[in-house]
Amino acid sequence: MSTATTNPPAGSSAPKAANQKPSTQLARAGKWARRAPLLPALIFVILMTQLPFLATLVISFMNWNAYYPDERGFAGFDNFKRVFTDVNARQAVVVTILLTLAVVIISLLLGLGIALLLDRKFRGRGIVRTLMITPFLIVPIAAALLWKHALYNPEYGLFNGALKFVFGDNAPQPDWISNNPLWAIIAALVWQWTPFMMLILLAGLQGRPLDVVEAARIDGANGWQIFKSMTLPHLRQYIELSGLLGAIYVVQNFDHVFTITSGGLGTANLPYYIYQTFYTAQDYGRASAAGVVVVVGTIIIATFALRSVFSLFKEESR
Amino acid sequence: MSAPAIVGTIDEPPTAPPSRRERRADQNRSESSSHNRGPLMTTAGYVGMTVALLIVAVPLFWIIITSFKERGDIYVRPAQWWPNPATTENYHDVTTRIPFSNYFRNSLIITGVTSTVKIVLGVISAYALSLLRFPGRGIVFLVVIAALMVPNQITVISNYALVAQLGWRNTYQGIIIPLAGVAFGTFLMRNQFLSLPGEIIEAARLDGAGPLKLLWKVVLPMSWPTLVAFSLITVVNEWNEYLWPFLMSDDERVAPLPVGLTQLQNNDGVTNWGPVMAGTVLAMVPILVLFLVLQRQMIKGLTAGALKG
Repeated sequence: MSTATTNPPAGSSAPKAANQKPSTQLARAGKWARRAPLLPALIFVILMTQLPFLATLVISFMNWNAYYPDERGFAGFDNFKRVFTDVNARQAVVVTILLTLAVVIISLLLGLGIALLLDRKFRGRGIVRTLMITPFLIVPIAAALLWKHALYNPEYGLFNGALKFVFGDNAPQPDWISNNPLWAIIAALVWQWTPFMMLILLAGLQGRPLDVVEAARIDGANGWQIFKSMTLPHLRQYIELSGLLGAIYVVQNFDHVFTITSGGLGTANLPYYIYQTFYTAQDYGRASAAGVVVVVGTIIIATFALRSVFSLFKEESR
Repeated sequence: MSAPAIVGTIDEPPTAPPSRRERRADQNRSESSSHNRGPLMTTAGYVGMTVALLIVAVPLFWIIITSFKERGDIYVRPAQWWPNPATTENYHDVTTRIPFSNYFRNSLIITGVTSTVKIVLGVISAYALSLLRFPGRGIVFLVVIAALMVPNQITVISNYALVAQLGWRNTYQGIIIPLAGVAFGTFLMRNQFLSLPGEIIEAARLDGAGPLKLLWKVVLPMSWPTLVAFSLITVVNEWNEYLWPFLMSDDERVAPLPVGLTQLQNNDGVTNWGPVMAGTVLAMVPILVLFLVLQRQMIKGLTAGALKG
């Protein structure tokens, strides 16, 4: 990657000449002076991206509860032990994994389907595409409120209202959130994330070389064959990109869980667990330890998941 | 390409190459022919499209008509599909019952300042990490990228402890400064900068352009779509940010719109959500407008910047 940049010839020969000629040393000093305005920004970015996590790491080894300020001190691995033995924490890990996998996979599949449909030419395509993207642009907390009240509410929500509209007065009126709390959150998140997946996959589809597809068609390949052996391999990197970005955001989701179920009914995910430990119980040490576990877990899973996905696709395209 | 093109060029005088418009028309023809999948597939496609459109559009339609319904009509069953009579009472309510203009102002200030800082910092640090040479550059880049893996909810803990001790709760700087670290933008812009042709940058350097001039006159103009994508994503993110401002602010002095929306819900209980829907519509309009203006460049830039390199 770094080979993409090339140094001016003067720059690359400077180290050799520097010892002999003071004038080149001066030139180098001048060069650094001209670069200097860029450095504060870079240093600030490094600090702002690194310090919070390093501080979290330090706090995770401390006994620090804001309700008991006198007991602040070094705690060793106590916080980690408590995180790993806490039933709620383990439950939160499971919920986070389920939530992320379900949302990313379902919205990728739906997004791919819609992108394939939108890739065709038809009247009003521009309007349909813009409309399809809209859910992604709604403030997440507002979208969560919309789903909770306007759609799911058993008394006056749209779902039950529509059931009555279609099936008459004897229509079943389920309480959507109490019956399937986790799926209620997943559906709301899928509604927001499908447009994002669709957006990136559509960009990928439109960058597909059409003459090759045409040639394959003339050679007698059917639609499924073209899709499987030409479109999918071409889309591979777009699928990975949208899946990865989506996963990074969905793992962190707090707004929907907080709004729709307030973490109740077994839907507390890790961000919500951390929020509870830190904001309600004021236990900074344990919350930080949970946070560190999340980050380490994310990195491990991301590394393995990416590797296996990569190798899977490589075998397919051969 | 396909048969019509050959016929066309033979009919014309041999020296005239097919005009751009003809070539484009030909391309369209071959494109549309590649999508001919028989009437059954076409019908299935339209049905699928309609279903998807309904799933996306009905909730949106529902927010908007509900925000114009009278209070009693919201609870009528079976569902009432059109506001009758239509009223702007909910919009009046949302702007009077909570200090809506304060929340809106706070959102503008926080989004504006944070986005500007993030965009400037992202561009400069990406530039330093891609086109300037200094020892340890690769490690610095890896370290910044690693921050992408750290969810906000985790750094919230240490940030909260710090900001609370500084006495910065309920201040703009308390909300803005901890949000200003920028890893995603640095990553996106760096990959974009590395994909630029080295010869052009080289030529500008030999012409004596300093780093800042090079960035401003040469590198940025060539990276426009990626910069737009990065900026738009940053603005949308800051506008939507909920948890951090929620922890940092106790009332409308500095709290942004998303926090205000939940306060509207809390104040009224669950019974009166006409104003909640009106507030939702008002909160999403600015982002919608911004996106509609910039959408083409945004899609191009996002995929280009993230996939190259």
